[in-house]
Amino acid sequence: MSQSDKPKETPDREMIESVWAEARDLVRRLEGSSVLRFAVAAGEYKIEIERGAPAAPPPFAPSDAAASLPSGQPVAAGAGPGLGVDPGARMASGMFTLEQPADDRIPVLAPLVGNFYAARQPGAAPFVEVGQSVEAGQTVCIVEAMKMMNEVVAGETGKVAEIAVTNGEWVEFEQVLMYLEPAEA
Amino acid sequence: MFEKVLIANRGEIALRVARACRELGIASVAVYSTADAESAVASFADEAVRVGPPHPGKSYLHIPNVIGAALKTGADAIHPGYGFLSEDPFFAEICANNGITFIGPQPDVMEKVGDKAVARDLMKKAGLPLLAGTIEPVQTADEAHDIAASIGYPVIIKAVAGGGGRGMNVVRREEDLARLYQTTRSTAQAVFKDSAVYIERYLEAPRHTEVQLVCDGHGTGVYFFERDCSVQRRHQKLIEEAPSIHLSDEQRRDIGERAVKGALSVGYTGAGTMEFLLDDDGNLSFMEMNARIQVEHPVSEMITSVDLIQEQIRVAAGEPLSVAQDQLAPHGHAIECRVNAEDPDRDFAPAAGRLDTYVPPGGPWTRVDSHCYPGWMIAPFYDSLIAKLIVWAPTRPEAIERMDRALSEFRIEGRGVKTTISFHRRVMADDRFRSGDVSTDFVEQFLAAEAAVA
Repeated sequence: MSQSDKPKETPDREMIESVWAEARDLVRRLEGSSVLRFAVAAGEYKIEIERGAPAAPPPFAPSDAAASLPSGQPVAAGAGPGLGVDPGARMASGMFTLEQPADDRIPVLAPLVGNFYAARQPGAAPFVEVGQSVEAGQTVCIVEAMKMMNEVVAGETGKVAEIAVTNGEWVEFEQVLMYLEPAEA
Repeated sequence: MFEKVLIANRGEIALRVARACRELGIASVAVYSTADAESAVASFADEAVRVGPPHPGKSYLHIPNVIGAALKTGADAIHPGYGFLSEDPFFAEICANNGITFIGPQPDVMEKVGDKAVARDLMKKAGLPLLAGTIEPVQTADEAHDIAASIGYPVIIKAVAGGGGRGMNVVRREEDLARLYQTTRSTAQAVFKDSAVYIERYLEAPRHTEVQLVCDGHGTGVYFFERDCSVQRRHQKLIEEAPSIHLSDEQRRDIGERAVKGALSVGYTGAGTMEFLLDDDGNLSFMEMNARIQVEHPVSEMITSVDLIQEQIRVAAGEPLSVAQDQLAPHGHAIECRVNAEDPDRDFAPAAGRLDTYVPPGGPWTRVDSHCYPGWMIAPFYDSLIAKLIVWAPTRPEAIERMDRALSEFRIEGRGVKTTISFHRRVMADDRFRSGDVSTDFVEQFLAAEAAVA
């Protein structure tokens, strides 16, 4: 469904998002047309999309998604509109987010709409920093909504690979806040 | 005027509001659940914020997420549409506390008119006609007996907190009163957590007649005449029209003026609807007030040439109404059919699914308010409305012909998808409907007559 060149060591998030935005827009405009395959590239990133392909597995059975991708480390993947994904599966999965990584990094998603805070209070040390190991269940940040501090915990044990948002930023539901690298087996 | 309006809704009404914003030069923000990521409004609006999973309680009804989306995008007002948070005074209050204008009445006013007993009391004082009955909740079965005897059977016992046809029982004979009084109370307690009930005269086959109004914050209110919404099934409206062919010009003016006076007497601002029952003798009785824009508002727009959503936004921003009462007159006749993803041949069972084919009708004086497009998924966890088909014509018979023509053009297909289009076409061809002799028992009798022939 999608692939990319080998990413840079630190993926350029802005660039990735702009490529994805382009791709999404294109898919929308191609709805109903006979175009079956196209690619969008910017800098080192490239997204190829094939439409009308046989029904694919639900996009966010992570293992399937990973398996269907070429080897290497794609920078981002996910289901956009008109990707030939079985609609039933898409609805049933209940979520299809463009930020979902296709690599083996574990995204930490915002459980609600609110303000992202890296630390419990201004001036305090952040809950976690890049490179730090975290245990499953450990608080990694706060999303504040209407003066309610909602602690976000790591779903799995791992190491913080990237913090995807900046302190104080407004985040939407299921926006990726950070990525964890899974602990070595 | 506002710079940016967040639309706390989904489906056709969210798109309808976004369109009004665009025409007013206001930026719009859509909110969407993960199931609605590909919705028409999410791509039409200037911005879109994902606010939760498909379950409405965790997305469209989740106040912190909706408020958060408004703060995130810097919206200065929230339009609640209908349903969801549109009649929640608590939500309106939270908007105010966050410096966001709620497009609707003030929270305390909304609370008053939302309580049926309070609303009836206030509107009676303001001079609106009410059905014979009580305003205060009835406390005992003995009291219920006395009241029923004084107003005469049949009577209806209604839960104060009820709505949508739930929590009410008709009593035709005195010997059933005590039992049904207790039943209604315990149902009300179980369903609405409030056992209070009241009693009023029951009309066997009234016409559902409602007055559309908009009040600004400068003490001015305007009525946009009435709609007849008698074609209902289990209290769900299926066909609405404007104006009612059963009111004289004098009645129309009288009830409109009283409705506006009633609304202004409680400090009402924004768009609202006063619901009345119209009996065979031409008497109108106030039922309740809906403190929001309604699904069927387009038929009133078609006969007045006023965009009610724009008017609603304008007055919420503190501007005066753009039209005066003496500039308005009902012009022609408009009909709306609700095209739902329901199977009329199987008792209107939900028939949701993906729309492989979606070809709306066109042509003169034909309007389709819809969020659908080919490939759109009618999800089972939201309402089944696919489209509102609205036509206008100089007269009611011509509007019926135009509606039938438009319905015949409407093509909606998909696996598992059934629609109410065939039902609407049969109604348009029905002699009783065409004669205009339609009351709230119409659908039941129409379906029974069809079943008898089949």
